[in-house]
Order: sequence, then C-alpha cells, then structure tokens
Amino acid sequence: MKIRSLAAAAFGTAVAFAATAQAQAPFADVGRQPPISILINSSPWFAGFEKTVELYEKQTGNKVALDVTPFGGMLEKARNAVRGANSPYDILNIDTQWTIEFYEGGTLTPFDEIDPAFALPREVLTYQDSNYWNAAKRWRTRDGGKLMGYSPNGNIHVLYYRGDLVKAAGLQPPKTWDDVAAICEKAGKPPEMYGFVTRGERGNGIRFDWMPFMIGAGADIVKAPADGDYTVTINSPAAKTALDRYVGLMKRCAPPNHGVLGQGDLIQLLSTGKALQGMAVIAAWPSFEDRTKSAVVGKMDAAPVPSFPGGKPGVVIGNWHFVVPKNLPAEKKKAALAFSRWFLTAGAQREYALGGGIPVRSDTFSSDLATRPEFRWMKAYGDSQPFARQELGFAEGAQVEQVLGLRLNQALIGELSTGKALNMAAAEIEELLKRNGRRTGRLANLPE
Amino acid sequence: MIVPLHGHAATIGYCALALSALFIVGPTAWIFLNSIKYQIAIYTGAWVFEPTLQNYVDVLFSRRSDLISNLANSLVVAAISTVLALAIGTLGAYSLHRWHRRKLLARLLLGWTLVFHMIPTLTLVGPWYVLFQALGLYDTLTALVLTHVAINLPLTIWIMMTFFDEVPVELRDAAAIDGCGEFGTFRRIMLPLAVPGLVSAGILSFVFSWNEFSVALNLTSRGTATVPVAIARFAQQYEIQHAQMAAASMVAIVPALLLMAFGQRFVVRGLTTGAVK
Amino acid sequence: MNRGLAERFDGTFRHWSLWPCLGVLVALSVYPVLQLVPMAFSTLEIVGGQQTWSFTPRRNLELLLGDAVLRDSISNTLVFVVVSVAFEMVLGLFCAIFIACMPRWRGTARTIMILPILLPPVAIGSMWKLMYNYDFGLFNQMLRAVGIAPANFLGSVDWSLMAVVAVDVWHWTPLVFLILFAAVESLPQDVLEAARIDGASMWQTIRLVILPLLGPALAVAALFRAIAAFKAFDQVYLLTSGGPGTSTELISLHLNRVFFEQNQLGYGAMLSLTVICMIAASLSAGRFAAAKR
Repeated sequence: MKIRSLAAAAFGTAVAFAATAQAQAPFADVGRQPPISILINSSPWFAGFEKTVELYEKQTGNKVALDVTPFGGMLEKARNAVRGANSPYDILNIDTQWTIEFYEGGTLTPFDEIDPAFALPREVLTYQDSNYWNAAKRWRTRDGGKLMGYSPNGNIHVLYYRGDLVKAAGLQPPKTWDDVAAICEKAGKPPEMYGFVTRGERGNGIRFDWMPFMIGAGADIVKAPADGDYTVTINSPAAKTALDRYVGLMKRCAPPNHGVLGQGDLIQLLSTGKALQGMAVIAAWPSFEDRTKSAVVGKMDAAPVPSFPGGKPGVVIGNWHFVVPKNLPAEKKKAALAFSRWFLTAGAQREYALGGGIPVRSDTFSSDLATRPEFRWMKAYGDSQPFARQELGFAEGAQVEQVLGLRLNQALIGELSTGKALNMAAAEIEELLKRNGRRTGRLANLPE
Repeated sequence: MIVPLHGHAATIGYCALALSALFIVGPTAWIFLNSIKYQIAIYTGAWVFEPTLQNYVDVLFSRRSDLISNLANSLVVAAISTVLALAIGTLGAYSLHRWHRRKLLARLLLGWTLVFHMIPTLTLVGPWYVLFQALGLYDTLTALVLTHVAINLPLTIWIMMTFFDEVPVELRDAAAIDGCGEFGTFRRIMLPLAVPGLVSAGILSFVFSWNEFSVALNLTSRGTATVPVAIARFAQQYEIQHAQMAAASMVAIVPALLLMAFGQRFVVRGLTTGAVK
Repeated sequence: MNRGLAERFDGTFRHWSLWPCLGVLVALSVYPVLQLVPMAFSTLEIVGGQQTWSFTPRRNLELLLGDAVLRDSISNTLVFVVVSVAFEMVLGLFCAIFIACMPRWRGTARTIMILPILLPPVAIGSMWKLMYNYDFGLFNQMLRAVGIAPANFLGSVDWSLMAVVAVDVWHWTPLVFLILFAAVESLPQDVLEAARIDGASMWQTIRLVILPLLGPALAVAALFRAIAAFKAFDQVYLLTSGGPGTSTELISLHLNRVFFEQNQLGYGAMLSLTVICMIAASLSAGRFAAAKR
C-alpha cells in the first residue's frame, strides 16, 4: 500500500500499524511523554483536529490539553505566551500573517534545536515554505532556513459554483474570469440570484480576496522581496487589469452592499442559494454540505480559482502554523515534537480528514478518500496546489495590508478610480518601506 | 412613583414609552428567536420556521461545550468583583465626598480615575498579563476579580459621589448632634439614602464584569474562561455560528438576571433597616 | 473594641475609607498608565526574545502627522460620540422619568430595559449585522413589507456611520437609563409634593423641578458615556471594519490596527495618548459650555 511505504520511508523510526477498520493506517510510536497544551482557535476544522487528538491520547496514553480560543483573541494570547518566564502553551497556532513577527522576534524554538534528526516527511505540504525562516535573508524559505513549525491547516481559495444551475443553463464549469462573467450574465438574476460574490469588506477581507485577481494577472505588490528588492510594483498595468476586473465583477454581479461584504455575508449568500458563484476559502466547504446550515446541500461544486485568458490561476494561501515557544522546559519541547511527529503521519492525517479537517499531506489527497462524493472538493484543492502562493511575507505585511485594504475598498465603492487607488497605495507602501530602511522605489504612475 | 400622570399627557407618554421599549426589546426578542432556529433559517430571516431546541442542547450539554463551567466562573468573578467594587468604591466616594473639592489630593484622585477610564483596554492587558504572571496569578479567577474591581472603580466612585453630595447637610448635622459618630452617620444616614445609587452602580459593575472580554481572554485559559470568551468562540475565522451564539447569549442572561435581582433585594433590605428616614 | 480604639476608628473614618480604593488604583493603574508616556515617544522592537526600546520622539510625531486616515477617524469619532451620546441621554432620561411615573411594574420595566447591556458585544455585533443585511435583514424585510425599496444600511457611505450609531444607542441607552432612574427615584419627595400642591403641571414639574435636581446624575452619565463612546470598538469592528472607505473609521479601530495588528507599540502608545488628550479636550469644552450657560 502506497501510504504505508511512503510514511515508513519518511520516518525511518518505529512505525506502529494501528489496525483500524478502514485501513491499515500507519502511525508513529512516540513513547511516553509529559502532557502538553495547545493554543488553538475555534474553526470549522477544529472538530476534526479534536478527534485526531483524542485518537493520539488513546493510542499513546499521552495527554494533550486544547485551549480553544476565539479567532479574534489568538494573536494576543500567542504574543502573551512568548513573553514572561514560562509559556503556558507548548504549541501555538499562528496565522501565516503573524509568522514573520514571531520568527524575527526569536521567541520560537527551531525544530532542529529540539531534535537535530527531525525532518518533515516529504509528503507534508509546506505552503511555499512559510514554516521555514532564513534569518539572514529575512525570508521564509527552506533554502538556508530553519524549520520553525508546520501547518495544521492550509487554506486556499477556490471558486464555489452551483453545479446544478450552471449545467441547467447549458454552460461549462468556469475556468477563467471571462467564464465567470458569462455565467453571471446568463444565469444571474439579481436580486434573486447574484452572479458572483467575494469579499469587499475593508481591510483583510478585500485585500485577501483581491489577491487571486492580482496574482492571476501576473502582478505583485513588490518586485523581489526574497532578494531584498522591495521596489513597489502594485501600480503596474497588470495590477490595474486585475482591479478593473474585480471591481467590474462586483459591481455587475454582487449585491449592492458589496463594499462591506464580509465572510459571514458571503457564506450567507452562498448557502441560502442566493449566489451562483463565489470565491472563498476551502474551509467554508463543510457549511454548504450541512442541512441545518445550507439550502444547497449536494448542489455546490468547487473549482480552482479562475485565471485570466492564457494565464494561470492565482491561488493565495492562508495557512496556520504549529510552532513551539522558546520559553519552555526541554522535556515539554520534546513532547510537543513527539505529538507533531505523530500528527503528520499518513494515518493521523487520514483520521483528520475523516473527522472534517483539511489534511496537509499530499498523499491524503491522492488516496481513496478523494473519490468519495463528500470529498469532491479534494480535486480542486489538489489541482490548485502547484499555483498556491504566499503573499506579504515580510515584516511590513500588516501595514501594507492596511494600505491596500483601504485603497482597494475605495476603488470598489467608487471613491477613487482604480488607477488612482493603486497609485496612492504604491506611494504609501513605498513610504513605509523606506522608513524601515528597505531598498525600494516604485513604478511610474498609472493614468488616473 | 414620582409624579402621577393624567389624561393626554399619560396617553402620549405611555405611547412614547412603548415605542422606546420596542426599540430596546425588539432586537433582543429577535436574538431570542434566532436561538430556536437552525442556522439556515437565521440566514434567510425566515418568520415561518421549524423551531428547535438543538442549539440550547448544543451549547449546554455537548461534549465540547464548557458553558456551564464558564457560567460558574462568570458568576463568581462578577459577583465578587461587584461586591468589592461597591464596598471599596463607596468607601472611597464617601471619603472624597467629605474632603470634596477643597483638597488637591481628592481632585487629583478623581481626575486620575477618569484618565484611567479613558485608557484603551488594549494598552492595559499587556502590562497586566506580565504582572499577574509574575505574581503567579495568571489563569486564576483572583486576577480577573482584581482587574474588574479596578476597571469598575471609576464609575462606582463617581455615581456614589453624586448620591452622597445630594444628601442634605442638615440631615448629616442632625445625626452628629444625636451622637452618631462619623461611621454611624455613614452607616445610618448616608448609605440608606444612597441605596438607589448603590443598586445602579452595582448593576453596572456586574454587567460590565459579566461581559468583559479582552482582560478575561488574556488572563484565563480553558478552565477559567468566562462566558464572553466562550461566546466569542462562535465567531470563527470563516464562519459565525449565529444559532449557537444566540442560544448561549440567552442562557447567559438568566443567571445574571437572577443574581442581580437577589443582590438588589439584599442591598435594599440590608441597608434600609434601622435607617433614619 | 475598647472605647479609645472605637473613637480613633471613628475619628479617622473619612481618611482610612479612601485607602482600599487608593491601594487598588495604585497597584493596577499607575504602572500601565505611566508606562504609556515613555512608550509613546519610543520605538519598541523584539529581537532575540528581548524587547528593546529606542527613544524616537520625532519619528512617532512624524507618523502621527503623516497618518492618512487619522483625520477622517477623528472627525468620524467626534460625530459618533456626539450623536450617540445625545440620543442615549435623551432616550435614557425620557424612559427614566416615565418609568418612574408608572404606578406599578417599575421593577419589571427596569429589568426589561437593561436586557441589551446583558448581551456580550460580540453577539450584539454579529446579530445586528444580520439585521442590517441587505437581502435578508430584519429592517429591509420591514421596508419591503410596506413597499419601500430596501436600504443599503452598512454598505453606503452616507448611512453607515448612522447605522453603527444606532447600534451604540440601542446598546448603551440602558446605562444612562439606570443611572438616571436611580436619581429620579431618590428625588426628595417633599419637593415634588410641594410642586404638586402649587398646581404645577407635569411638564412644569419635569422642567423646573426634576431636571435641575438631576444635574449631577446627568453629568456623570454623560461623562462616562462620552468616554466609553470614544473607545467604542467591538461592534463597529464587527459591523463594518471601518468601511466602506473610511466612512465608519473610528480612532479606536485605527488604534487597534496600529497597536495590535501591526504591533507598532510606540506609535500605538502615541495614538492612545492622542485619544486621551482628545477626550480630555472634549470634556473640558463640554464643561466650559455648560458653565457658560
């Protein structure tokens, strides 16, 4: 069996085979360990994670306490944990946007300091290496970087669409933004049926949901941050194409309150059957398949994010990271690593997927699970992986997001022209990068 | 009853009152309605729906929910911090009332309570976390009680000051002539006359502590978490569980109301017996 | 207790009764408040697990002056505070007087009135967002039912600020009501009696007797509501995140972004101080205006 051989090869450690009913899934034997405590957020994938942790406790007899924290309180609690003499948590879950602060601050333990022999199994998705940190380059990369953690959850955007309605209208599943627009025109009937929705809310919402347009059009925020070239390129003609397309679709297809459309509104529109197509994170999938929450059970399909004609899909990653704080006793760090070793086995990941989580091993997506109807999202997820990109992977990320979050929103609601919004954003981003001593500059202004 | 209402004034007044009450009560009733709906019926804003108690069962008894222990934590923290804030605040207000605005210290202290009240909570939680971790009080209800007392002190002091200031000086002097000492005057004259203020300040302290989120979040973990922290968990990154959130909010109102009613009766009875009216 | 001790206790009562209060305030408020001042003029960085402070007053001031959204956030905040506190005071006072005039059910009425402040802010924000929803919300359902086109409450720059003000008014009128209700209930009965014997009408009694006597309570309610309104955060954050555009950007939201999301502790502290100065200035202005009248 493929799963087994790969896992065994990857670890080279003692691999226990638990005889579960479904499959002879391999798990790691990690021995007796002191109890650990994990800071984790409430989320649609938490139930799956909790079930997996229960299996770990049952198999190994080791205890894991989960402090389930509201999403809005995670960053604060994680920051607190790494201050002071002793962290109350042995594993922290941090969002991709917060990683730079924790990596640069030196408040985490690189995994090789806990166990020099530890290596991630090959199958584990690293989401563009956001779990490695190269301190000299100030960049997240395995090239010269240290392993700082791994993802318990990797969210990417997909395009949700009503398979039933698209088919009934005699149309093909959408592949490009032109397809999306065509489906919106032909099968959309606002206000009964909105043709396309995605977030337009100021701040993280619009910034994150515009990224697929931006990446797909071949634009970027800064030139080559990995090499230290922070020339601002957000006011490029390609970026304007992306913004024009986004604003055009939202104005034409989305409800009139598109300027404040947030995650909750988006899910509300999609699950009530008020929206034909919508771009949202894969984590939203379970909502559409639950009869108490959705009027479209079995009718929703997922496809990779659309591309511009002749281009590639612009998939943007929003993944979480399990990391180990520095201010912990050695045996706690070892216990945290032991749990991690077990959690990343093919067997544990399979349980995680079955419990409703989104697994982080490539072999889980190519396993027999992917062929089951309830996992029909797995294909879109797997197909998207080669294009998945991290954005804003530098210390000024949160500030850049604030600038973009405002200017893009102003373009969306018509307060600024798209060209002017991008020019203003470029000037402001250049200014804040300059203040931080980055090598920067910016492109010539777009026509306003 | 302060002024009896008659005729047109009464009709107009009560109509306006009913409108204001509708404005206040309507949304609350709507939230209650959501607590007996499935999420999909909440999304569509349906008026005809299949009612369910599932949300209540979920938040109260599901294996993953700690709501009952969260409620217990909240009750302990809110009750103790309210009693302490009232006691400390009333004593302080009395002292400041007697010194009144003559002394610089009294003025400075009153000003300081306002400045403290103006500080964004965001800037307080960091230093408090460090302080309580150093004292070994992180993740205890004691830490939460202490911070809530501090946060509630300014409003309590100011409310009680206005009530003490309203007591006619003649009453106080009469008590002194009757041989009541300073403490006797405070206990028998000032406190009973300030009971309505005490009740309001008590309710406000209690309610504040009951709903306080940021400090509770940062000083507690799973075992010591309070109700607002638990309810905020329903607001996830990618999904808000409105149905469970509404049910948990409704559940949380009940003990708060009961305890406030009980506490109020206790304050009114305890302080007005033996009072010189 | 022997007599001497009792007398000493009694004689110094007005002094020692302040100590517990002083103790709590010194222990929990002095350090955080005073730390804010040096922080506001520094840049804080965490390197190698250690926090380093460097004194950069000019940089922080430049950040403050060059802040693109600060001006909008200040003017929005002022509008938000003035409008919401004004509505809360009027509504709260009105309900306090009329409920106090009710022959019975006063206790029940008070309990019903305070329901909104018993709900956690996160629930209030999430539920009002549903009520304001363009397609399914309660308000647009009502508008459609009477044949009016649905309104874009949160999504239009003209209405969004008033929409978030309405939530604040709904949430906090009960606080004003509670303080004023207590004050109305403890009004001296003989004065009201005298007004009645003099044949004063109800409106005369309210205008000439009750309102002047309520002065201090009105001042305290307005003071504390104004301070809290300057700090209002949760609901606006959940409803609009400050958008669309900058139409609901409050200084508290801006502070949250800078201090918390971007972890710019120095400039964040500078913004906090700005908030405090703004509140103090507005309060003095209010007091000056009240004194002049």
